[in-house]
Amino acid sequence: MAELNKDMFVIKGKNTMKMESISRPSLSFWQDAWRRLRKNRAAFVGLCIIVLYALLAVFAPMFSKYGFSDMDTAAMHAGPSAAHWLGCDATGRDQWVRIWMGARTSLAIGLFSAFINMCVGAVIGGLCGYYGGKLDMIMMRVVDILYGIPSLIITILVMLVLGKGVAPLIIALCVVGWIGTCRFVRGEVYRLKEQDFVMAAKVLGIPDFIIIIRHIIPNILGMLVTNLCMAIPGAIFQEAFLSYIGLGIAPPNCSWGVLAKEGIQYLRIHPHEIIIPAFFICTTMLALNLLGDGMRDAVDPKLRGTE
Amino acid sequence: MKKRILAALLTLAMTAAMVTGCSTPSTGGDSGEGGGDSGAASGEKVFRYATNTEPTTLDPTKGQSIGDNEIQHAITEGLTRNTAGEVKPGIAEKWEISEDGLTYTFHLRDAKWSDGEPIKAADYEFSWKRLVDPETASPYAFIGDYLKNGYAIETGEKDPSELGVKAIDDKTLEVTLENPTSYFLSLIGSSGQYAPLRQDIVEEYGTDFAATADKNVYSGPFKMTKSENNEYIFEKNENYWDVDSIKLDRCELSYVEKPDTQLSMYEAGDLDYVMVPSAYVPDYKDKSEKFMNGNVDFCYINSQSENKVLQNKDFRLALNYAISRKEYNDLANTGIYEPFNGLVFPGLQAKGKTYGEAYEMKSYPIEGDQEQAKSHLDAAMKELNIASPGDIEIELTTTDAESSKKIAEVIQELWQKSLGIKVKIRQVTYAEIYGNVFPEHDFEVGYGGWGADYDDPYSYVELFKGDSSYNYSQFVNKDLDELLVATQKETDTDKRMDMLKEAEQLILDEGAFVPLQARNIFYMLDEDTTGINFYYCSLNIDWVYADVAQ
Amino acid sequence: MLKYVTKRVVAAILTVFALVTIVFFLVRLMPGEPFTSAKLTKEVAENMNSYYGFDKPILEQYFTYMGNLLHGNFGYSMKYTNKTVNYIIGQTFPFSADLGIRALCLAVSLGLVLGIIAARNRGKKLDFACVLIAIVGTSIPDFIMGALLQYFFGIKWGLLPVAKYLGIEYTILPACALAFYTLASVSRIMRSSMLEVTSQDYIKTARSKGLSELRITCKHQIRNAIMPVMTVLGPTVASVLTGTFVIEAIFAIPGMGKYYVESVNNNDYAMILGMTVFYGCFLVLCNLIVDILYGVADPRVRIGKR
Repeated sequence: MAELNKDMFVIKGKNTMKMESISRPSLSFWQDAWRRLRKNRAAFVGLCIIVLYALLAVFAPMFSKYGFSDMDTAAMHAGPSAAHWLGCDATGRDQWVRIWMGARTSLAIGLFSAFINMCVGAVIGGLCGYYGGKLDMIMMRVVDILYGIPSLIITILVMLVLGKGVAPLIIALCVVGWIGTCRFVRGEVYRLKEQDFVMAAKVLGIPDFIIIIRHIIPNILGMLVTNLCMAIPGAIFQEAFLSYIGLGIAPPNCSWGVLAKEGIQYLRIHPHEIIIPAFFICTTMLALNLLGDGMRDAVDPKLRGTE
Repeated sequence: MKKRILAALLTLAMTAAMVTGCSTPSTGGDSGEGGGDSGAASGEKVFRYATNTEPTTLDPTKGQSIGDNEIQHAITEGLTRNTAGEVKPGIAEKWEISEDGLTYTFHLRDAKWSDGEPIKAADYEFSWKRLVDPETASPYAFIGDYLKNGYAIETGEKDPSELGVKAIDDKTLEVTLENPTSYFLSLIGSSGQYAPLRQDIVEEYGTDFAATADKNVYSGPFKMTKSENNEYIFEKNENYWDVDSIKLDRCELSYVEKPDTQLSMYEAGDLDYVMVPSAYVPDYKDKSEKFMNGNVDFCYINSQSENKVLQNKDFRLALNYAISRKEYNDLANTGIYEPFNGLVFPGLQAKGKTYGEAYEMKSYPIEGDQEQAKSHLDAAMKELNIASPGDIEIELTTTDAESSKKIAEVIQELWQKSLGIKVKIRQVTYAEIYGNVFPEHDFEVGYGGWGADYDDPYSYVELFKGDSSYNYSQFVNKDLDELLVATQKETDTDKRMDMLKEAEQLILDEGAFVPLQARNIFYMLDEDTTGINFYYCSLNIDWVYADVAQ
Repeated sequence: MLKYVTKRVVAAILTVFALVTIVFFLVRLMPGEPFTSAKLTKEVAENMNSYYGFDKPILEQYFTYMGNLLHGNFGYSMKYTNKTVNYIIGQTFPFSADLGIRALCLAVSLGLVLGIIAARNRGKKLDFACVLIAIVGTSIPDFIMGALLQYFFGIKWGLLPVAKYLGIEYTILPACALAFYTLASVSRIMRSSMLEVTSQDYIKTARSKGLSELRITCKHQIRNAIMPVMTVLGPTVASVLTGTFVIEAIFAIPGMGKYYVESVNNNDYAMILGMTVFYGCFLVLCNLIVDILYGVADPRVRIGKR
């Protein structure tokens, strides 16, 4: 019997992308998610509301005869009527136009800052959770420090440098906003990496970044999407809070938070001024939440292929 | 399934127990008082009200807000007592004023501190020297500038012992002033900074002096028994020299930040007096009364701004004529303030009547004058070679408070509509506007206001005196400065008043600022309560002589 | 375990130290001055600056401050001139903490129950009802929620006191208003997390062992599902207990929240720093507890192993 020696073997390397490939001729991940999302009626309604609001925010102010800052002494505190569909505010400005001008600001702030926060938070949290050790220890202390700095100071400083406006506000919300997601993703990754399927992948010698992309991320994506849908209202509220203490966007621009804040003063005597912004805030949140739930189910790998 | 519901119910019950079970933190020193609002039942006369600015200190010397001073007005007694402008003897029984109006000699009556010690002339001397001493760092030290050498001591040029106040003996106090100040007696009757202080108490507690109610003794009609957790309780001071005039047994002041909450508390019967939040005034007009608190609001115009148009008198006048102050007031303040086109609060005393009655106002029309505005704007554009009003942009700086924001938005809209210029709003924090923006003249047009500490027009016109610390608008006019210096030396009060009116007119004619409004405060008072006074200098509500019907 | 905790405590102290240093210099960058009033003259402002030592070099100020801090001395507030920051915190923290604990108890227990019920009845009406409560909770900003509760329960129906904090009945409205948002987020995360856990193998194992549904839910599902909630809760506990500006303002509660926001607006440096150190310690502590609890709650995560 011939002896085995090294020359008889050829190192063929490993194709890391294919070694786990599944022979099922299947839909891509996102195609599958989209298919399941469409089947979820509630989620679809939510999606429609968001799209509708977004369209109205873009077009409604263009087709109104009132400017968003036109004041009118004759229409102060006017209730909803044919002339002013949603009534007027304390200085006689048309609420319909202001609501949609406000929607531009609020939706932009909510979507952008929540999305940026999610991405940054997920990456940093994922790295900390996966690698642990010194990196984790240091990052978590940085996070603690950042979290401990009063966010107002950060907001004021950002606005000092960049001025008042939507973009500085988004940046200010992002400086510390990612920390929540980061902590949460870190915890999840920490838990997942001890699980058998990750262990198995590791034993097979799959590189870390592929484990993260193929195994860890799909498993936390559901929670992450839920988190994102919570973060959008969070960001919109944060803006409203900053407006509440006078640090929001520059007048005469408005946001839903500004409108709600202006309206809350008249709760007892002109309730429409608070009910209307509150209604739009609530329905947006409702839609986002329904959508979020649908998305959660749609991207959950464990529910894949099921109805 | 049933079990799960049971579990849920159990959790609910547990939560309820947790929520209601733990006791609230102790509210401190009000034990033994038998609870706040049951005063009437025990036959006590109690007055309850709220403030929306938290008192910053209980040390009379360091008071810096109207809220601080309102408290001091009740717990300290000056040489005189100023009740809504009427000056009566306080601890000083009588006094003599020298011919030149510079030297006052006060003769003190037999009066006691709340701990039974006699009030001596030396207590005033100590207090006033402490006020101007740089070591004390009182935020209101400048109010001691009326006393001889007051300003020099403040700046460290002279020693506090050189201040123009001297206790001749226990009952006689000699005061020397820097200038003849006709309103000096009125000033010391309403400014807590001129209250007496006990040297032994101040030195005993050091920096903790008056930190809480028990770390001080009181000379006024009331003594403070509690100052914690946003509650301030005053009780009648039995050692007060004029205790028979005091009807109330107790007063309870709550710090409640939100005016809406105050209104709710009043309507729930928790307060006897409330200021109606401006948003609600139109609907409460029938139920409420009003007083003017002496505050006038206006826009400063930085007349040495880098924005050339603001250096132009015609443009400044155009800004003034363009605004219909009536429309402005309706939009910005739901019409509750008085549209105002002057500088000096018209309710001040002058020539035995009010300033507003004594002099006729010659100024921009309340309704605005669009034609005048246009012609002044045209003149300004011609002079500055500007082709179209759209090329002019000015920046309006305001604080981030909701009311200021609304006011700024309205002014912005009115100027843009009327003149066709561009107006940008810049919002800064309160700390910034009075910390940097105004003192460093880092603004173009800025929304601000003024309320006087003493009953004299000088306080208002001084805002435009060339070398004044408050001259935020960098307005310099030689005639005005000379006029103002002369008023300080003039001893004939009527003549002096005419000079001050002349100064106000000069400032208006130059378009140095944009007057907007004089404030009205609407309030509701429980019908059983009487004897509340309102004032427009350094304090608003004065409840010392209040009475509650049983 | 002990070694791990010691290490974490040392790290926590270093964290707070770094936090103080950063905030100390950051506040100086903020626009505005600490002594501002419409009436303040230049001369008076100078005197006040030297009284508080602001005329000294900034590094000297920093070391003086750190020295005082080591003795637990936060210094005097610059707005409330004769009160120390320690005194203000001592006065206000009990109120904020009391309110916060009530709100947290309410929020966490109800939130968990709602989340569990919703997950167990996924897709049914009960699920929808729970989700709706959660959505309403997250949809209404706290200043609207507080004002509405106060108006209806306090004024319109006269059931509960309008404002202030004098007894148990006074705590109900603010605690509810404060709890709502946390309750909603806890229930949503719990629901998601419960669903996540449902399809895990150990649940299948438990079921095949013939355990009752109740036992499975209580023993296996909840214990595993609760962990993401805990992560979120760490910072929430810290921020809720140290006071909330809006709710405290609406209900006139003498808590810390106001000072936290106001000190920043007033540039009250000593107060900002004091509040930050206090809050920072609290936060670090909460996060430490969460990390340790992680090990206790999840048998697979062994702290010592790291």
